[in-house]
Amino acid sequence: MKQATNPNVDMKGALSKGGAFHGFMSKFPLPLVPLFLFLLIFFMWPIGALTGNAFKSNEGALTLSNISLLFQDPYRLAFKNSITLGFISALVGAIPGLVIAMAIEKQGSQTLKKFVASISGVLANTGGVPLAFMFLAAFGPAGLVISALKSVGLDLYGLGFTLFSFTGLVIVYAYFQIPIMVIVVTPALSALRTEWKDSAANLGASKIQYWVRVGIPILLPSFIACFLLLFASAFSAFATARALTVGNIALVPLQIGSLVDGNVTVNQANLGYALAFGMIIISLLAMIPYIWIQSRTSKWQR
Amino acid sequence: MKNLGSKLVLIITGIFIFFPLYAATEFSMRNGAEHTHGLTAYRWIFEQSGFFENLAITARITVLAVILNLLIMVPTVTWLHLSGQRYKRLVEILTILPLIIPVVALATGAQLALPSILQNTVYELSFMYVVVAMPYTYRALDIGLSGHPLATLTNAARNLGASWVRVLTNVIVPTIRPSILAALFLMVALSLGEFTLAQLLHWSTFPVWVTNTSQQNIIGATALAVGSLFFAWILLFGFTFFGGKKSNTVQEEA
Repeated sequence: MKQATNPNVDMKGALSKGGAFHGFMSKFPLPLVPLFLFLLIFFMWPIGALTGNAFKSNEGALTLSNISLLFQDPYRLAFKNSITLGFISALVGAIPGLVIAMAIEKQGSQTLKKFVASISGVLANTGGVPLAFMFLAAFGPAGLVISALKSVGLDLYGLGFTLFSFTGLVIVYAYFQIPIMVIVVTPALSALRTEWKDSAANLGASKIQYWVRVGIPILLPSFIACFLLLFASAFSAFATARALTVGNIALVPLQIGSLVDGNVTVNQANLGYALAFGMIIISLLAMIPYIWIQSRTSKWQR
Repeated sequence: MKNLGSKLVLIITGIFIFFPLYAATEFSMRNGAEHTHGLTAYRWIFEQSGFFENLAITARITVLAVILNLLIMVPTVTWLHLSGQRYKRLVEILTILPLIIPVVALATGAQLALPSILQNTVYELSFMYVVVAMPYTYRALDIGLSGHPLATLTNAARNLGASWVRVLTNVIVPTIRPSILAALFLMVALSLGEFTLAQLLHWSTFPVWVTNTSQQNIIGATALAVGSLFFAWILLFGFTFFGGKKSNTVQEEA
């Protein structure tokens, strides 16, 4: 932003480039003002405000007491649960997602690809109560799968399984995590040229050698990036977790939700902001490497 | 032999996707007394108060979000491609930032710091949805625009005496219509299903209404889930599958 408002620097840049369109807009990027203002009001300002409040005591003085609460139960436990959920759900989404994307790539039909792209886009946006009830109908206590298994003598709920649990959340999240993985990993797979496979084979490499020396090293950064994205998605999921758990699992987004709704009262009025700030920090740790890897790999993927 | 494995994977995937949907549909059509099936639960949905009101609210929020999104993003991305290349990197970083911040966290900030005129109206959600969708809408437009010689087209139009507004409406918008549709689709998809911001900012929208109504009747709630999923899916699937045809060719050109 600062750069953009310095007319001298910009004039020089424009002159040296000398392009046909550089003349009229080089002093100040006026066309960017609406976007900047919009993000400032509806994004930067709210985040600045919540960060400020995270470090404020009830009287408005600067304090670390809200933040230090994050390291005590039940908030410490919630962060632990949310991070674990993020990791397991990312694994459960990333591996099948990769396998499915590879299978689609192998089939190679354009219609299938388009169909999968559409359906993945739709599934990736499914969540909340509708998703929870859909799984209840299949895996709930009276669900189709559960009663079918019961009729052949396998009582899953009797064995301690329940959809309203950590495992349940992982199963339900897979329904949107796998499609997200398919969407984000497909460009990386398409970038694996068949020519490379052929030339490796011509040079006498076995299939395993091709994957170990060429395929996996090329795919690994993208896979890690996609994994991080899935982590962030499960870590911060709110609607589905709220619909499925009944307060039996401590998760950070749910704790923030009940603080905002006023269902829970605490001594520290600004605890909710501290929790939100903690979530942002963890999300940053996952998303910055994601963005960095994606921007590096997208250069040669095109 | 080769394709057998991948076919098997696709079949299993199909089961994983459609089985819960089938189970939910079957369950939602039960008539209380186990063995008969019917549409009782679906009739129940329409009898619940607030159905049409909340659907209308969500529709209005969505329309405003789409308009805001296009008004801000289309001219900005067009300018970046025509003469603002130097700022492209900066805008790329700015527009991906909303992906970094969990929506729950953003909601607590929004509740704290949005302009007070907006805090009193449900349409504040439209503004927030534009921000949340920005990482996707920006990229959709950017990819779409990369495939066209926009500078040449614009120069030609300008040389023939067209004003900048006319260039935008008569040259640029028709050329990039598929990517505008793609951005529009992403915006609609997000607004129709968004629950977190609406709930935490205490507004009643269709997804919030579905959640609250679901607590009364489990079969009815499943019918509501199936109904709202099918409604959104048909809409979105139609958009991507038929609207996506053109934008795919654009991407291939690029």
